[in-house]
Amino acid sequence: MALRMWASSTANALKLSSSASKSHLLPAFSISRCFSSVLEGLKYANSHEWVKHEGSVATIGISDHAQDHLGEVVFVELPEEKSSVSKEKNFGAVESVKATSEILSPISGEVIEVNTKLADSPGLINSSPYEEGWMIKVKPSNPAELESLMGPKEYTKFCEEEDAAH
Amino acid sequence: MRTPRTLEVWKLGTVNYLKSLKLQDKLVSERKANRIPDTLLSLQHPPTYTLGKRRTDHNLLIPEAELKSIGAELHYTQRGGDITFHGPHQAILYPILSLRSIGFGARSYVEALERSMIEFSSLYGVKARAGNKCETGVWVGDRKIGAIGVRISSGITCHGLAFNIDPDMKYFEHIVPCGIADKEVTSLRRETDAQLPSEEVIHEQLVTCLAKVFSYDDVVVKEDPSAILNTLEDDD
Repeated sequence: MALRMWASSTANALKLSSSASKSHLLPAFSISRCFSSVLEGLKYANSHEWVKHEGSVATIGISDHAQDHLGEVVFVELPEEKSSVSKEKNFGAVESVKATSEILSPISGEVIEVNTKLADSPGLINSSPYEEGWMIKVKPSNPAELESLMGPKEYTKFCEEEDAAH
Repeated sequence: MRTPRTLEVWKLGTVNYLKSLKLQDKLVSERKANRIPDTLLSLQHPPTYTLGKRRTDHNLLIPEAELKSIGAELHYTQRGGDITFHGPHQAILYPILSLRSIGFGARSYVEALERSMIEFSSLYGVKARAGNKCETGVWVGDRKIGAIGVRISSGITCHGLAFNIDPDMKYFEHIVPCGIADKEVTSLRRETDAQLPSEEVIHEQLVTCLAKVFSYDDVVVKEDPSAILNTLEDDD
């Protein structure tokens, strides 16, 4: 528990900023792989996707908890630019350990950019789930949907409860 | 106090592949809406080749047009994994489970499917093991005896595992099984001298192993599941 709070406050201290997608900042979670990391400044769905909302663009990916539970990702299927996504509906899929898992969109909107690097490097989702492993960028059609998503503390608790359930 | 967990088993005999996909789609919706408990389909298919989401049809070594002449069908699916063959004397289990209610992610679910087959193999003195990284499935030495291909949508599983009891191995010569070129496929018949009981008993044993690995408290066999199959519309 203490370690997780440390990881969270470290992320906060490092203040991974909105322009961080191509930065060389040391990711807050690289120190410990025992606990999944949860990044400050993001919102989370109970299906383990994250959203980073910056102005009129929302970037979407899956959390460290999600990639850890998936195993090594070998294939990613993403929507096309200009297609639309709907809250809690599937927009793509990843394959790992011979299992395809659907990815659900946390919000509704229009896809304005897709991470084409994932076609050749699907493992970025495992190695950099919050940074280089981003999946789609969306223009939100209903920004109020973000309010119903979880913040980092709530999501951390959610993951702990899920993991404790079996 | 933990609520007792029940697994409902449908013994279906031989089922056409497309029909089994339709049934699974229906059951996944029912499971998602919590109208049915965790459900397990136990069946076989007539000779059928299937591909996964990645559509790796370069691993089919004969022209698709020739498949009919060898008495086989080909289907493209949304499951994970590469090309595989299903046919008589191969035991198939399709668990329709809510991963959230059993606390599993994709990786731990697949590992539990592997353990189910390993446990089952040990009943016949066959020492099977899980695959190495990138070789999901169950192996005896370097020979693959059990295959896995799974789809997870909204946290509900479908497709599942296929365990070779004594299938006609010639069918495997027409594919690069699971996309792995230099490894053999094997079967329970080939790996043990033990007397094999009837297939019905074998399927029941496999189901019991899965129920044990997944810690179900109760296993209930559904009465007359084939009646539901008949209500699914036939394909053209």
